Amino acid sequence: MEVLAKLNSPVMYLICGGIVLLVAIICMVFAVRAYRAGKAIGINVSKMKRVIIASATFAVLPSVGILLGVIALSGSLGTPWPWLRLSVIGALHYETQVAEAAAEAVGMEKLSASAMTASSFSTIALLMSFGIIWGMVLMIFNGKAYSTKLVLPKPETVETNGKKKKLNLKAFGDTAMTAMFIGLVSAYIASYIGQIVSANGLFTFTGSWLPLAVACVSALAMAGFLLIREKAKADWIDSFSIAGSMLIAMTAAIFLGKIG
Amino acid sequence: MEQKNTQYEAYLSATHKLGRWLTVLVLILLLAAPFAIGLFLGAMPNLAAAAKAFLGVGLVYLVSGIVEYLIYVPMLGAGGSYLAFITGNLINMKIPCAINARDIVGVRSGTPENEIISTLSIATSSLVTILVLAVGVLLMIPLQPVLQSPTLQPAFENVVPALFGAMACKYYRMNRTVALIVLACMSLLFIFVPSLIGSTSMMVIPSGALAIVLAYLAFRKQQKAGGGL
Repeated sequence: MEVLAKLNSPVMYLICGGIVLLVAIICMVFAVRAYRAGKAIGINVSKMKRVIIASATFAVLPSVGILLGVIALSGSLGTPWPWLRLSVIGALHYETQVAEAAAEAVGMEKLSASAMTASSFSTIALLMSFGIIWGMVLMIFNGKAYSTKLVLPKPETVETNGKKKKLNLKAFGDTAMTAMFIGLVSAYIASYIGQIVSANGLFTFTGSWLPLAVACVSALAMAGFLLIREKAKADWIDSFSIAGSMLIAMTAAIFLGKIG
Repeated sequence: MEQKNTQYEAYLSATHKLGRWLTVLVLILLLAAPFAIGLFLGAMPNLAAAAKAFLGVGLVYLVSGIVEYLIYVPMLGAGGSYLAFITGNLINMKIPCAINARDIVGVRSGTPENEIISTLSIATSSLVTILVLAVGVLLMIPLQPVLQSPTLQPAFENVVPALFGAMACKYYRMNRTVALIVLACMSLLFIFVPSLIGSTSMMVIPSGALAIVLAYLAFRKQQKAGGGL
């Protein structure tokens, strides 16, 4: 328990809070630079303001979810360290898994405050930090080359009405990004379907249906927002439609959770 | 026009320089923090145990980190990528947030507008997360019973399904055929190999690849027919 008291001490808040503050400043610097550059190259200021409002409203609910991750980990790791991890670089699904694995590696049966020693904690903290640095490392060494030298492959030649022409691959860029995103979303929705059908054995249909039900409610709410936008020509609704849909779906989850 | 291009090139070049140095700084601080904490606690990290645990679970995240880098940098542009990799929570927040922002204002990928919009979007969402977590940590004691109340648990356990449900509705409309085929294929995969459910973030790779191949075939067909997109 003495270790947990130390993990929640002002020194820990100072170390972790200092890094969080630095990252907040970095975000502000990037935002201000982007805003100024956007103005300089002629992007409509109201467009940029819409992006800021939409992104801010979008981020609130997932951030509360991330806060729950901090609360969940604070019981065993104290509050400042999970706060740092989930404010900077961390990912909700990653932190818990790695902390558990690191706890096992240092000989703890499970991640818990009662079994935590100073040495276990610093080892767990190191692994949590080291395990997820790869995106940053690649950006340091190859970020410029990769993002500026991203070249399109040689365009394929197709025959149209007897005439040969090259495919306009530049026009495919947006379609590819949308497709990639459809792939990302589909992987998650499909996992909810797989969970219902086979989570407890092939075709047992005993898995939790709540994630899929919540996704469906959210999709329906989104459809409602899109309909309102189209019928009432209310473009402003775009800034709040994702956050609104999530709020409706999460409220529904409370009631659906009682049934399930 | 040329002046604007020059301004943008200068901005981009400075963004890379700044991004690289700040990423190095944050990386050093993050790796130094466990040792600083070790010094404070009077016990340094056990490097052998950390290496053993890394071989067990960290290697998965090495592969996942490389894949995330390869896939998301083209989506986010330079400034957005530096920020996203520093602040984390890519799949459950930064990527959907940036894509949503891009679509709201209708910018095309690979353009200067996309670079600016995605940087603004990721910086804003990161600041909101930092703020929510800071307020949450400050109010930890009064907030804890509310946020952890059993009544609210189903809501907070389903943030990601709520996010992806809304995004699915928005993006499936853009390419219904691709969405339907990919969703069907991935559902069958998860149904027949349920052990993959725990590795959904990795399954984004085949799912995304399939979606891109299908979209390319449709695009090729359309261009062949003389349509163009």
